[in-house]
Amino acid sequence: MLTVKNFKKKYHQHEVLKGIDMTIEKGDVVALLGPSGSGKTTFLRGLAFLTPGDSGNIIFDDQKIDIQSATANDIKQLRQKMGFVFQNFNLFANKTALQNVEEGLVIGHKIPKAEAKQIAQEALKKVGLLEFSDHFPSQLSGGQAQRVGIARAAALNPEIILLDEPTSALDPELVADVLQVIKQLADEGKTMIVVTHEMAFARDVADKVVFMDRGLVVEQNEPAEFFDHPKSPRLKEFLSRISAASVANNSFEYEKSSVN
Amino acid sequence: MNTTFLIHTFWLSISGIPLTILITGAALLLGLPLGFGLAWIKIRKIKVLYPLAVAYTSLIRATPMVLLILLFYSTLPSFLNVIINKHFHLGIKVFDINPVIYAIIVFALIAIANLSEVFRSAILTIDPGQKEAALMVGLSPTQIYRRIIIPQALVSAIPNIGNLTLNILKGTSLAFMMAVPEITAVAKTAASYTYNYTEAYIDIFVIYFILGAILQVIFKFLERYLGRHKLKRTA
Ligand SMILES: Nc1ncnc2c1ncn2[C@@H]1O[C@H](COP(=O)(O)OP(=O)(O)OP(=O)(O)O)[C@@H](O)[C@H]1O
Ligand SMILES: [Mg+2]
Repeated sequence: MLTVKNFKKKYHQHEVLKGIDMTIEKGDVVALLGPSGSGKTTFLRGLAFLTPGDSGNIIFDDQKIDIQSATANDIKQLRQKMGFVFQNFNLFANKTALQNVEEGLVIGHKIPKAEAKQIAQEALKKVGLLEFSDHFPSQLSGGQAQRVGIARAAALNPEIILLDEPTSALDPELVADVLQVIKQLADEGKTMIVVTHEMAFARDVADKVVFMDRGLVVEQNEPAEFFDHPKSPRLKEFLSRISAASVANNSFEYEKSSVN
Repeated sequence: MNTTFLIHTFWLSISGIPLTILITGAALLLGLPLGFGLAWIKIRKIKVLYPLAVAYTSLIRATPMVLLILLFYSTLPSFLNVIINKHFHLGIKVFDINPVIYAIIVFALIAIANLSEVFRSAILTIDPGQKEAALMVGLSPTQIYRRIIIPQALVSAIPNIGNLTLNILKGTSLAFMMAVPEITAVAKTAASYTYNYTEAYIDIFVIYFILGAILQVIFKFLERYLGRHKLKRTA
């Protein structure tokens, strides 16, 4: 469904992405792991042209984009197929939770107001926040705000949702609810790329785990292989640095708490 | 203290209020959209216009209001006369133009420069992340500005717009120098006959105090009303 070829990006003289190749099949959940500064955010933002890459190709279904010569129209068309969930939520501060979700439906996608409201309410209900419809972002906890962020992206029914560390700005006790919501999307068959440091979540929910280091994809595999039999020395080192305990003990914690 | 004069002049000076409000209001009304346009030029760093906008802003902001008024009132009419009548022979009696018009123009020029800075900093305080989120849900840049950024920028700008309005309101007291019969001019003129200046100044003080207080209440209300979304969590 989505193929990325030789994606490169430099900041000044510093080559942050040195040629990323990635293929994502419809329905895949890809967990993107890697040390801080390895270029995960740069890659995800590059895919959505929030900070465009320097070169490479993005092939999304029948849309082929050469990054160097992408037009505003190409980008618009590409973004229509994508949802983005930000590390710090980026909710529209002047709009209520419901309006945050409606905005893209009504203004962005020209869906009639009544229908949009219904879709938005449905989306909020799914993330367990229907009764918070009229709350402004300043009146939501971090976990609630991020669930609204996810509802806002998912309500537009994009072909893929890109999530950049959706839980890393949250207090530990709020992480579980958000992960649960993402897992629910995965169960519905949504295609997603999730940058995360939640190893247990990656292991349990992802179809494929990709390890990035210093601007390159170093290793990718299905989760069990990836975590139990890492091949490259850099991945081994990365996994060993993350305490073994957190991988073993933390698993399924997000399933204990239930949303709704 | 001449109480009769005090009271009499008070009522007399009140007749100057409409002009004071007219000048302040008109300056603000012109200043808001034009100041916003200027802020836009500065934020977008639009070619050619950008350095002009910056130069204009710092020039106006660095010059004392009194000086602007004197300069404007003494030079602009002659200047206009040269252009309109000597060059284009339109035969407009420039020196007969109501000084209120000149006053409005001066204060509008001041408002534009100051409001452009108010808007510029207000817009820059909005986290660009919201803009990115809006792009991802399909809003166009214009829609993003209209629906997300400006409403928030306006709220954070309200206190500063209030300050500026207050400064202009007080500044209009200098319009007496342009022979505009606003509050100060009326009171001073009344006093000049009998030399009851102290009483006249007390009257002026009271009137500005009341106007200023009303203005502050209005802007507090606006800030509260437009900033509903900023209400802190109740639970
Ligand atoms: N705007 C920028 N200007 C210059 N350098 C940047 C910029 N943004 C990112 N970088 C650099 O690019 C590299 C990759 O950053 P990126 O944010 O993609 O890493 P990351 O893998 O997402 O890390 P983290 O896990 O900490 O979020 C870093 O070395 C960073 O310093
Ligand atoms: Mg990152």
